[in-house]
Amino acid sequence: MYCDKVIELLKELERSREDTIPPYNNDGINHVLSEMKTLDAEIIDLLRTQKDNLPLDAIRLRRAAIERNKRCLLTYIWTRIQRLKEMRWEIGAILPSDVRQNLSQSEIEWFNNYCKTLVSYMKTIGPDTGLNLTQDTKPPKSLYTEVRSLVDAGKLELESGEVLILRKNSQYMLSRSQAEPLIRQGVLEQVRQ
Amino acid sequence: MMHPAEIEYMAENEIIQIVPTFNHASHVHLICGSYGPFRAGLPLNVPIWVALNLRQKKTCRILAPDWMAVDKLQERLEEEKASKFFTQLPTNFYLEITQMLLTVASEDIPQGNDIKTAVKDLWDLRIAKLRSSVDLFVKEGRVQASLNHLTPMEINSVRPIFPDTLDALMTLHEHINSSDDREDSSQSSVATPSSSTSFSLSL
Amino acid sequence: MLTIMDIDIRDLIDEEDDDNQEEMTAQKVLQIVERAWLNEKFSPEILPHQTDYVDCLLEQIKGMEGNLAKLSKTDPKVDLHKLELERIKFVITSYLRTRLKKIESFCVRVLEEEATRSEEDAYLSPAELKFAKEFALNADNHFDTILRHMPHLYNKLDRNKKIIEPNLNSFVFLKCNKHIDSVIIKNTLEGQEEEIVLEDGSQHLMPYSSIAEFVKKGTVQLI
Repeated sequence: MYCDKVIELLKELERSREDTIPPYNNDGINHVLSEMKTLDAEIIDLLRTQKDNLPLDAIRLRRAAIERNKRCLLTYIWTRIQRLKEMRWEIGAILPSDVRQNLSQSEIEWFNNYCKTLVSYMKTIGPDTGLNLTQDTKPPKSLYTEVRSLVDAGKLELESGEVLILRKNSQYMLSRSQAEPLIRQGVLEQVRQ
Repeated sequence: MMHPAEIEYMAENEIIQIVPTFNHASHVHLICGSYGPFRAGLPLNVPIWVALNLRQKKTCRILAPDWMAVDKLQERLEEEKASKFFTQLPTNFYLEITQMLLTVASEDIPQGNDIKTAVKDLWDLRIAKLRSSVDLFVKEGRVQASLNHLTPMEINSVRPIFPDTLDALMTLHEHINSSDDREDSSQSSVATPSSSTSFSLSL
Repeated sequence: MLTIMDIDIRDLIDEEDDDNQEEMTAQKVLQIVERAWLNEKFSPEILPHQTDYVDCLLEQIKGMEGNLAKLSKTDPKVDLHKLELERIKFVITSYLRTRLKKIESFCVRVLEEEATRSEEDAYLSPAELKFAKEFALNADNHFDTILRHMPHLYNKLDRNKKIIEPNLNSFVFLKCNKHIDSVIIKNTLEGQEEEIVLEDGSQHLMPYSSIAEFVKKGTVQLI
């Protein structure tokens, strides 16, 4: 059945968690592109050899299959990009290696360009050097938040100039703005009251 | 889309009374307004977020707002039961303020548990009214409704269900009514910003 | 000692509202930005930018941070100021993030519509416009890497097929700031139109398209 392969690609994506990106299925994509080529060739052939009695249904079917393949393929790569974009906001500009290895060269390029565009925009906000929009994603509850270190993370310089040594399982009171990125990176966790 | 924490943020802008345990002669000139002077033992008005911060540091006592009393809340409840519509409440953030004050300053609020119950009852009653209004609205295929006196948290509780269902209905009706031309390549896709657009690219 | 930061921002005073001319204070600017934040959250389309007010607030924050550095760390005011700055930063970042997400979701459409507007009537700030253009180009280039491998007849993506539009008919909750004599609601379920009056202070639920213009003018607040 036409378009089976492209649906498989989409299903593979759908099955994966929304906060992950499965490996770029280059083989699958090539398979779909190849199918599109074949279908196109068949149409051209039909137009040429049967031009006095065009089998319209056969042509329409193949054309629809090509369009469907195109649409699904673009959806496939667009969905991956959306997830990648989300990662910039959740994780930051440096992607973990297990994510990077699942990306195509073009995706890596897209990501780098997106980061550039985003940073370039954020730098223009306000009177100084800009505003980091990936921070302060939740309203502040209280000025300081109690956190626990999940790992031996070494030295941390506080806004006051004081230097803390983060040891696994020790608790600290940090300012929200300092704690937030470390919580996101998995270095600290909030102590639930 | 509104996160409950964001509604709490708005609730924290409301003014309540505190009694500081410290002295600070000058005003504090915040961007949202100026408050003070702080004289130990004398009540003054401050935004709730200020009150909560001072209370967490144990430098003040919080005075329950007028409406936060069991008898007053019972009265409200009776009025709400008697009315077909939503009654006007003394504050738009009764649920959030109650929760915040009882969490941070439970010793300051007399009959805290009874208040908690009364507020919950009021909330349940109003939400029940809201749900049946919503049902009716959708069934009758109406396109506009008056919602006076509904509070942000109540609105937020139906926000995901309500508009999306109607959006879908309206979209369906539009498609049925408009010319059904599959070959029309100018069909663009429509999305609401809140919906996660995994497969949103429509060709 | 911190003093009230009175801002006399002549260019922010509504020139059309001569009889109602208020001195623009930092407090008022904060209120305007908070309202803009709510409107942007709940409207399906991107609204005219409020960069002037946002920038003003960020100036306030900068000034405040500078002053804080001079205060003694044990001053009870310090924590309060810091907390307020975090609150305000949250509203500003949330507002700008919401706008950015809309720009990304509806990029092609946003750029098309913006091209029809003059600079004074622009919905996007110059920085947002630049972001939108770069985002669109980046997307096009990425699609191209796969399109160019497709058979010749199909290796382009026309505008129509790229466009994702916001649903302007989606329902919104609103509060009226001023009496409005006539609002027309398209009752598409029956193909009729309904005309209603919106009283000052009343709250309603209706399709966004019916009151879009009022939101942009400030007579209606989305909630």
